[in-house]
Amino acid sequence: MSWVGKSLRRKEDDRLVRGNGLFADDEQIEGMLHLYILRSPYAHARIRGIDTAAAESLAGVACVLTGADIKEQCDPYMQLGPEPCDKIIDLPLATDKVVFQGEPVAAVAAETAALAMDAGQLIEVDYEMLDAVVDPEQALEDKIVLHEAAGTNRVWHSVFEYGDVDKAFEDAAHVVKIERMHFHRFASTPVENNACVAEWTRQGDVDFLCNNSFIGFAVQLLAPGLRLPMEKIRARTYDIGGSFGVKIWNYVYMALAALASRKCDGRKVKWSETRTEHLLASGHGNERTFLDTEVALDKDGVITGIRSRHIDDCGAYTRYEPLGCVIWAQVLPATYGVRNFRIDFTQTVTNKCPVVPNRGYSRMQHLWFMERVVDICAHELGIPADEMRLKNYVREFPYETPNGCVYDSGDYPMMLEKAKELIGWDEWKKKQAEARKEGRWLGIGIGTTLDSGTNNFGQAQIMNPYLPFSGNSEVCVIRLDFDGSVIVTLGTGPSGQGHETATSQVVADELNIDPAMVTVRTGFDSAWNTFSGHSGTYASQFAVTGLSAVHGACQKLKVEMRQLASFMLEADEDDLEFGVGDEGPQLAVKGTDKAINYWFMSNVVNNNNALLGGNLADVTLNVRHVYRPPFEAPDTEKKFGNLTLTYAAQLHIAVIEIDKNTCRPNILAYAAVDDCGSVINPQIAAGQVHGATAHGIGAALLETFNYDETGNLLTATFSDYCPITSMNIPDIQYGHIESPSPFSYNGAKGMGEGGGAPLHTISAAIQDALHSEGIIVNESHHSAPKVFERVNAPNREKVVSVESR
Amino acid sequence: MYPAPFDYHRANSVDEAIGMLSDIGEGARVMAGGQSLLPVLKMRFDELTDIVDIGRIPDLNQIEENGNGVSIGALTTHSCIAASALAGSVPILLDCASGIADVQVRSRGTIGGSVASGDPSCDWPALLHTLDAEIQCQGPNGTRTLDINGFVEDLYQTALQPSEIITGIRFKRPGAGSGGAYCAFKRCAPAYPTTSVGVQLTITDGQVESARVALGSSGLTPIRAQQAEAELEGQSLGAGQIGRAADAAVAASDPVDDQRGSADFKRQLIAHLTKRAIGIAERRASGEQVVNSHEYY
Ligand SMILES: Cc1cc2nc3c(=O)[nH]c(=O)nc-3n(C[C@H](O)[C@H](O)[C@H](O)COP(=O)(O)OP(=O)(O)OC[C@H]3O[C@@H](n4cnc5c(N)ncnc54)[C@H](O)[C@@H]3O)c2cc1C
Repeated sequence: MSWVGKSLRRKEDDRLVRGNGLFADDEQIEGMLHLYILRSPYAHARIRGIDTAAAESLAGVACVLTGADIKEQCDPYMQLGPEPCDKIIDLPLATDKVVFQGEPVAAVAAETAALAMDAGQLIEVDYEMLDAVVDPEQALEDKIVLHEAAGTNRVWHSVFEYGDVDKAFEDAAHVVKIERMHFHRFASTPVENNACVAEWTRQGDVDFLCNNSFIGFAVQLLAPGLRLPMEKIRARTYDIGGSFGVKIWNYVYMALAALASRKCDGRKVKWSETRTEHLLASGHGNERTFLDTEVALDKDGVITGIRSRHIDDCGAYTRYEPLGCVIWAQVLPATYGVRNFRIDFTQTVTNKCPVVPNRGYSRMQHLWFMERVVDICAHELGIPADEMRLKNYVREFPYETPNGCVYDSGDYPMMLEKAKELIGWDEWKKKQAEARKEGRWLGIGIGTTLDSGTNNFGQAQIMNPYLPFSGNSEVCVIRLDFDGSVIVTLGTGPSGQGHETATSQVVADELNIDPAMVTVRTGFDSAWNTFSGHSGTYASQFAVTGLSAVHGACQKLKVEMRQLASFMLEADEDDLEFGVGDEGPQLAVKGTDKAINYWFMSNVVNNNNALLGGNLADVTLNVRHVYRPPFEAPDTEKKFGNLTLTYAAQLHIAVIEIDKNTCRPNILAYAAVDDCGSVINPQIAAGQVHGATAHGIGAALLETFNYDETGNLLTATFSDYCPITSMNIPDIQYGHIESPSPFSYNGAKGMGEGGGAPLHTISAAIQDALHSEGIIVNESHHSAPKVFERVNAPNREKVVSVESR
Repeated sequence: MYPAPFDYHRANSVDEAIGMLSDIGEGARVMAGGQSLLPVLKMRFDELTDIVDIGRIPDLNQIEENGNGVSIGALTTHSCIAASALAGSVPILLDCASGIADVQVRSRGTIGGSVASGDPSCDWPALLHTLDAEIQCQGPNGTRTLDINGFVEDLYQTALQPSEIITGIRFKRPGAGSGGAYCAFKRCAPAYPTTSVGVQLTITDGQVESARVALGSSGLTPIRAQQAEAELEGQSLGAGQIGRAADAAVAASDPVDDQRGSADFKRQLIAHLTKRAIGIAERRASGEQVVNSHEYY
């Protein structure tokens, strides 16, 4: 009986569906204070003064924090980037200057949340307005500089060059030039906003109940920021209502709740963000512009070289950035066999909300770019979209990319075949031909994408050679409890991915027990869970990094169990076998009825250890395992090395008709095929695919953060931002294939991010519908008003040119 | 999100509410379902001192029919209207009531509040133009009945006097040969329409006897497109007439650029929705059942 591979019902759901989850904002403690964060209405302004007298004298207000407190008690958060990032001063509150709308300038702790907000309204901030810069290309002119100490907005620049690019262009039969493409700004809007309850005890310890999704990392940055040794900070999570990477960076604001608690003699302080605050200032996805792209192709349409200039807009601070300037290189050639690249990559700060590692982080933007390149070339050269992919797909695995990444396994042609079958490709092709005769705008688009999982943190050294990060790891502790059940703690701190369930399945198989006998402790606790600096839930980590830790811990436990049983049964270890006897799971001597069951083993070690007579001192039945993937540090000069362990793939096909009256892209059919290697729990995997598909469709059709030229966010409510709802999600024809990864013990691949497939696919379908109208789809957002703009201003002449020899 | 502090009063009758409003004066605001008022308060866009909650006043949430006269109490929620027998037989009401926002908003928001808010994005004020509705009001100086035409005077500005309350909406049930449709273009449920068009047609022997065309989310107030009506009245419907009516509707509109789209985009939508609404109204006038009038992304 194997539990892995089955759709075991999610263990988490019972408590969640019944409303018995514990989210940070659920915490109710007598005497707890509530924090209100006063935020800048301006995107760029100098703070000339703050008058907090009226707020402080309001009854029920416990304390007010301003930049002055912060200067006194905090050090700027550590910057990951080299010069000039290291000059950027990022603090929990602005001190002298605000650089984005929504940046915190003061905080009030009061008896109720409403009171705190009332008091916040009484704070007078004297701002001197400064001109803002929201356009990345303008920002790079440095006429308006956000961080004066850094002296420039250009926070990172380098050239990624592989192969012989110039030769590829000399030999090319066709060169396609694409003047400009733009990937828009959006985020994944988790259903639960950022929240925490903080306590700064009189002993000088800080305790957080929070919803940060990468605590192993967060405490490493939070501690020096608060001038504390790491072990003084205890951060706990229980249930987290989605993160999608956005919650990695909420500790910047968690610090405020801690500082307020400190100022209020250790009273607990709750901070719970509102939706508008979340949209305004929690963290957006990276926005990227692709300029002067040139594509070399041979006479058959095989792409031989690409050169391009990429400008990434990371908003006002380099939080986690400039890591995004390297992360995309995990998928440099996307799913295609292109060998020659020159990508000139620049990142700039602008007066907008800082970006954070949003679902599909940095790779999604690059994959969209590559998909547009392939798709535009196909349309310009008159090659059918499917053939173009088949000509260019990588086919041999493991495949080393030009920059040294190793694609573990896959079968993109088979995924295409499967998706075509699901959607009814041939039928739609016929319908499309008829529709076109009637002058209708009907397009069929293919999007192929990668979800690279278990990353090698050594790539951070490509961004900054001095960073002390590399490799990856996850930790699991497993204990055989007195009653023979198994208790597991993980460093992962999941936010909805079903780690309790998948872990139970793995442990159940390894130890031959029912998953119901496995308790996976919910949430994370930096004081009690064992963890590593990589511990967390992000970047498609779990199926490989997390479960390898679980699997390794099971093996260690089994070794101890064999030692113990061998002693107790007076038998050779080789003669023992795991099995199930009359009293449940046991170890038995082969071919005899001599056996010892699990609870008895645990009882001997924990309660009845005189039976051991002082033997087996190292056997505790409580073991810890750290999984470390086999990575090497990349060559930072050449920017070469294996940056991720596994490469899950997704292939989507969409049929879209653009309503000529409303310009609404109407999805008529949608197929999503995924390949995440061996599947641990099909239902969870399908759920991730559906969720990622919804996120991608939302981003493509509805969701966008629009700023005006003064840096004012125009889509700061759900009514304006318009996140996707069930009404906007088409029926998804879901299918999957399994190409087991040779690099993970279980053949699985990380797959939670999904690689933004709908963005690629919908862009391609709209391209297909509108190419004959003289339109090149060079943007990623396709709301009806956007499509209206596009069809009224054909851009093909301006954006694309083809030279054929 | 928390509103600034205010005092809360619950009125048990219309007279009591009017008394409270008059006593408190300028800082007082009526609250019915709170679905327009509360978001504004939470964003702290309105500074009021007192809320007079009329939500539990008895008998203001009834739909009554007397002969061909219909009256809908001001406190009737969108959900109640959608579920009513009246909406079952007057489909334009169902289009409107069931298409507003999501179930939470529909279960609380009221027709009176929608009209009183003076919000050009609200659907009821536009729709009621197609039924020549009258707004029944009661204030310190007694009751009066106002025409929906001109009731919304400007952005968030209505003809209501201080301390005056809407008590009900009245209109004549559309007769035989009459059909209407209310068509909105929306991004998703919790978003207000990008634009919307309501059309009510009475057709006798293939000729349009009377036409009403009204536009929502198309300017600072709901707009009655009288020229569009003129293009239809006395005509038998064909592509030419419908096209001219659509052009006239666009001419009557005054949309602005915003996050829902550019003014040009909205003009194209208004033309389209006008044609769509006329088409559905015509089919319904001939007795056909047509569902799903709105379009979503
Ligand atoms: C997320 C969301 C989406 C929405 N989408 C739509 C939509 O698509 N279409 C749409 O039409 N509406 C929409 N609405 C608004 C909703 O329809 C409101 O219910 C309606 O506009 C107001 O009704 P109410 O009873 O809630 O009024 P309230 O919010 O209680 O009051 C609104 C205003 O009218 C005044 N008022 C209320 N009742 C009376 C009365 N009887 N006499 C005098 N003054 C009164 C109040 O003082 C206040 O100024 C949406 C609302 C939300 C929150």
